[in-house]
Amino acid sequence: MAEEGELKKPAAMEVEGAEAASKPRFRMPVDSDNKATEFWLFSFARPHMSAFHLSWFSFFCCFLSTFAAPPLLPLIRDTLGLTATDIGNAGIASVSGAVFARVAMGTACDLVGPRLASASIILLTTPAVYCSSIITSASSYLLVRFFTGFSLASFVSTQFWMSSMFSPPKVGLANGVAGGWGNLGGGAVQLLMPLVYDAILKIGSTPFTAWRVAFFIPGVLQTCSAIAVLALGQDMPGGNYRKLHKSGDMHRDSFLNVLRHAVTNYRGWILALTYGYCFGVELAVDNIIAQYFYDRFGVKLRTAGFIAASFGMANIVSRPGGGLLSDWLSSRFGMRGRLWGLWVVQTIGGVLCVTLGVVDYSFGASVGVMILFSFFVQAACGLTFGIVPFVSRRSLGLISGMTGGGGNVGAVLTQLIFFHGSKYTTETGIKYMGLMILACTLPITLIYFPQWGGMFVGPRPGATAEEYYNGEWTEEERAKGYNAAVVRFAENSVREGGRSSGSQSKHTVPVEV
Amino acid sequence: MATQGGVVVSASLLLVLLLGACLPAPAAAGVLLSKLPKALAVTASAKSGQVLHAGVDKLTVTWSLNTSEPAGTDAAYKNVKVNLCYAPASQKDRGWRKSNDDLSKDKACQFKLTQQAYAAAGGNFEYTVARDIPTGSYYVRAYALDASGTQVAYDQTGPDAAFDVAGITGIHGSIKVAAGVFSAFSVAALAFFFVIENRKKNK
Repeated sequence: MAEEGELKKPAAMEVEGAEAASKPRFRMPVDSDNKATEFWLFSFARPHMSAFHLSWFSFFCCFLSTFAAPPLLPLIRDTLGLTATDIGNAGIASVSGAVFARVAMGTACDLVGPRLASASIILLTTPAVYCSSIITSASSYLLVRFFTGFSLASFVSTQFWMSSMFSPPKVGLANGVAGGWGNLGGGAVQLLMPLVYDAILKIGSTPFTAWRVAFFIPGVLQTCSAIAVLALGQDMPGGNYRKLHKSGDMHRDSFLNVLRHAVTNYRGWILALTYGYCFGVELAVDNIIAQYFYDRFGVKLRTAGFIAASFGMANIVSRPGGGLLSDWLSSRFGMRGRLWGLWVVQTIGGVLCVTLGVVDYSFGASVGVMILFSFFVQAACGLTFGIVPFVSRRSLGLISGMTGGGGNVGAVLTQLIFFHGSKYTTETGIKYMGLMILACTLPITLIYFPQWGGMFVGPRPGATAEEYYNGEWTEEERAKGYNAAVVRFAENSVREGGRSSGSQSKHTVPVEV
Repeated sequence: MATQGGVVVSASLLLVLLLGACLPAPAAAGVLLSKLPKALAVTASAKSGQVLHAGVDKLTVTWSLNTSEPAGTDAAYKNVKVNLCYAPASQKDRGWRKSNDDLSKDKACQFKLTQQAYAAAGGNFEYTVARDIPTGSYYVRAYALDASGTQVAYDQTGPDAAFDVAGITGIHGSIKVAAGVFSAFSVAALAFFFVIENRKKNK
């Protein structure tokens, strides 16, 4: 199967004997860009599926660490004498660090590759996790949550890595599962930390010591996962960035060029805004939902924790489901399908959010609506990253970073406006948050790709994907061959033109020299 | 595949809605503090503003029937329960310690010091401040309970006069060392891999 790529190469290429012999062979079917055209969830095949497992698991560990404190708050707040204001500020701090870290991470991926970029941020934030065990005041609590939150930047590297390893027809699914299973950490930790705490208490510790020791679990997991990424991971199917830069297969780009092409692409800004109202809302809800059910309905803390966990755990299927839906819509309607899918799903999420704020008179209805709401809002996250890989090739990392950062900005803003202080009751805050989701999802209607169209407008006749992506390079850069990968990506994205655009085969036709 | 997925999603949503409907509803109302007679007289050995250290210092609580009460008031009193309550200074901006007139919803008096049989002559209890009492300001409240365990009378030393407790931090030297070692290891691991990468690059 792996030989398919080699055999189809035109005879002229075979002359360069040494190069053809060193062309990598894979256990999975790949396209002309060596990206996998299939997604085998239970395989560890290198480098594609191993990259998937390394990236989602390390990101999962970052989520564990970032949200390890909330389930233990009843103990932490007593040990440190925290007030509600202290707790609220730390919650906002925990998601605000990642705003700029995600943008920086996007650039780092473009320049040094996702393997080094993600392992660096993950290992550099582990000291904050370990030091969470020795904090003694409200300000030190805020600082450790702030710095631990930086690790959420590894989201960008998972999306970038998946976009480098998987072919356009499967990129939505790969991004969705990697992102969703990582986000799962935010839910799993609400169950994990109380369990770890109880176990440590049983061994014979006092409560105020046991929660401190418990923080070592997410810390150690985070350290080990990052070391695994460094030892076992690989940036691209062809090898690591350093090797590819050295051999000349890949041009080492400049930061200013990457930055310029990201900030001047309006689609990146629109997606950053809309992602703030699916992922940002998800983070805000992660921080407030347990307390809402505890206070509004008088349920036990453990029950409230269980409900909070189930919101985050829906990610196991909802975000991948969004990615899958995006890929399926693309197979029938191309990019226009992906855009419509995102708008519809996120809008339904907004409607459900308003409903959640309105059915506060009934506990059962609130739980039911919340679960439905979690599915739609998380699927919207998956659908967003079905579109992001196509916005730019040169600045893929930075666009992913801007979108990811936009998600965190949404989380900060939403918590500041609706869930800080006593201006609104929580149920009113949730209702207004839903209305804001509806308003901020409308800009998706403005996204337009000349070669594939937008929600309401068809493609411009004669526009090609190659033209769109090549536009990111100047004449001289193109002459030097810096945009080599673009040609392959463009023709692997043929399906984004929808059914009417020709070839529907999973394995695309190789480049004709 | 889409239809299969649709069936799975609808089935799980239905299950979830059913589960949501079955989850336990909140509890019913209880005894109101404002309705209870202050028939007891309680004193605590800690003076206003005194600092007690958790795990080390002791607090003696003494209670008896209030002398202004007519005889026979205490016929129903079977037990005395003594609680430690948060003073207003420690409740400010902390909704989880809020006082509530409904004793079943009250969160201010979470720590039970003792529960003993009621004696007409009165009683006392010497309490070593537990290691899980957080830093804060406190006062003492004693309830008289009837045979069914319901509060029928009370008295308290605060909330105006409150003493302080200095809680433990819970930090042992071993935790500090472990935090330092693990942090250093993580950074060193990163540096190690960078060095290896550079060596490969320069080879």
